[in-house]
Amino acid sequence: MRRIENSRLYPWLLLLPTLIFFAIWNIVPLFWMVGMSFYNYSLNLGRPPRFVGLDNYLDYLDNVDLWLAMSRTFTFVLFSVGLTTLFGGLLGVLFWRSTRMPGRRLALTLLFSPMILTPAAIGTFSRLNYDPTFGIFGYFTRLFTGQSLDYLGTEGWAFAALIAVDVWMWTPFMVLITLAALGSVPAAELEAAEVDRLSIWRRFRYVILPHARFIIMLGIILRTIDAFKVTDLVYQLTRGGPGGTTEVIGVMMYRKAFDALTMGWTSGVAVITLLTAIAFTAIFLYILNLQKRRRLLQ
Amino acid sequence: MKRGWKSPIYYIVLWLVALIYFFPVLWIILSAFKTKSELLATPPVWIFQPTLENFIDLFQREHFWPTFLNSLLISVSSVGIAIVVSFLAAYALSRYKIYGSDFIQFLILSIRMVPGAAVVVPVYLMYAALGWKDSFWPMTLFYAMFSIPFSLWILKGFMDGVSLRFDETGLANNASRFHIIFKVILPQVKPGLIAAFVFNMIFVWNEFLFNFILGGKQTTTIPTLLVSDSIQQGGVDWTFVASLGAIYLLPPVIALYFFQKYLLVGMTFGTVRGEV
Repeated sequence: MRRIENSRLYPWLLLLPTLIFFAIWNIVPLFWMVGMSFYNYSLNLGRPPRFVGLDNYLDYLDNVDLWLAMSRTFTFVLFSVGLTTLFGGLLGVLFWRSTRMPGRRLALTLLFSPMILTPAAIGTFSRLNYDPTFGIFGYFTRLFTGQSLDYLGTEGWAFAALIAVDVWMWTPFMVLITLAALGSVPAAELEAAEVDRLSIWRRFRYVILPHARFIIMLGIILRTIDAFKVTDLVYQLTRGGPGGTTEVIGVMMYRKAFDALTMGWTSGVAVITLLTAIAFTAIFLYILNLQKRRRLLQ
Repeated sequence: MKRGWKSPIYYIVLWLVALIYFFPVLWIILSAFKTKSELLATPPVWIFQPTLENFIDLFQREHFWPTFLNSLLISVSSVGIAIVVSFLAAYALSRYKIYGSDFIQFLILSIRMVPGAAVVVPVYLMYAALGWKDSFWPMTLFYAMFSIPFSLWILKGFMDGVSLRFDETGLANNASRFHIIFKVILPQVKPGLIAAFVFNMIFVWNEFLFNFILGGKQTTTIPTLLVSDSIQQGGVDWTFVASLGAIYLLPPVIALYFFQKYLLVGMTFGTVRGEV
């Protein structure tokens, strides 16, 4: 026993179970996916996979549907992240001085609850809320405009309706991040700013922001990754419709793989999204290390 | 200024904001206690005689109890396995200089950042080829893998905060590594273990896509049941959606109340720590 513990391989022994999990559920599927992306493999044809080299990747270059889905995804990310950051930042500042609020824990539980619910359930129930006849939004729309409007069935409205649900779900996350960021500002510096009677703007610019910006940036990147991943919510809310106007990349992959059953083509798209996600992760860790290095310098 | 912040108006505004955000969730819970016609009534019904009929109907469906049990068993066992596995790995990464340890951590975190729809395709092909679809252990171990990155990051963060002196004292007193890991370090990272357990439970409890694709009759969990059984002949079965939705969303919300101080570390995959 002792000999094992003193061996140089001991830390690797501790890591081994994690590495086994990693190998079986990540390395193997990863190679499977990369390999499959060079094949024409459609489950519905009942034929064995046929090697086509780079054909799938060449097809992506002029596949309009794919590029539309990509641009829709980035539009979604832009609006969702932008609006959640804006609302979350404002509400975070509003909740900053609430430490002695009566029932604060319950209030925060209620406020934070949307983000811990499954998007699949939220998507399903939001469909009822948006329903032109039975839904609560449908009702208020009729009440205020006198006309009935099928949000999820109308091109142009469906995408906005989707963003609205996502913003509702994830604004609490940015509130949480903003509260954490504000909490990372040393109290002594805030008091000094108060004694010096700095203006609100200067306090924000020179005292709060230098400390708070790391956590805010980390929050924004996590939010970006999450918005990029969106699949369940869209699938349950609109199935990518109407007319494909809400078909983001996640939904497109799902539909191409499990409705159209074109596994080879989809694997290639998955490779591209995988690389994008790894790039996002690298940026996230870069900022995390930046924050650590700064702390060490102080 | 101070007096202004403390004023009751400020607190009332905050409470209103919280209630507005909670309202759609509350609406689901309220709907679960309505009859079908009340649920679909326009204008919406605010005051009604609460009924338990939807729940009685739900409990009598043949799929409900097996699914509920699946959700519970799969999430508890997968998160339990993930925590043991990542606890050991976190100790190794925190206490030893391992060649490429930053890279290992980077790779492991990036697993959680990839869109589910991209991962599910190759995993589906693998499971179909190996005959692993719709069976308990492949499903559970997949979710264990899904929970490892976050547990590993969170536990390593907490372990880095435990001084090396503890290990050194233990070794000087001739204690085994095994003893140090489980008797000395483990009690000190308890908050990390709790946070990892609670939030991984929530993530697995909520997961839909993989269960929908890789699962089947034997391994269906609540979100999948909610989606697959919601369509009845002639439209969506809203009383079913509302009552199952209400039952499903209560555990996470209650957990959120009791473990609120771990929410930040939980939602940032263990990378950001701080007070809220």
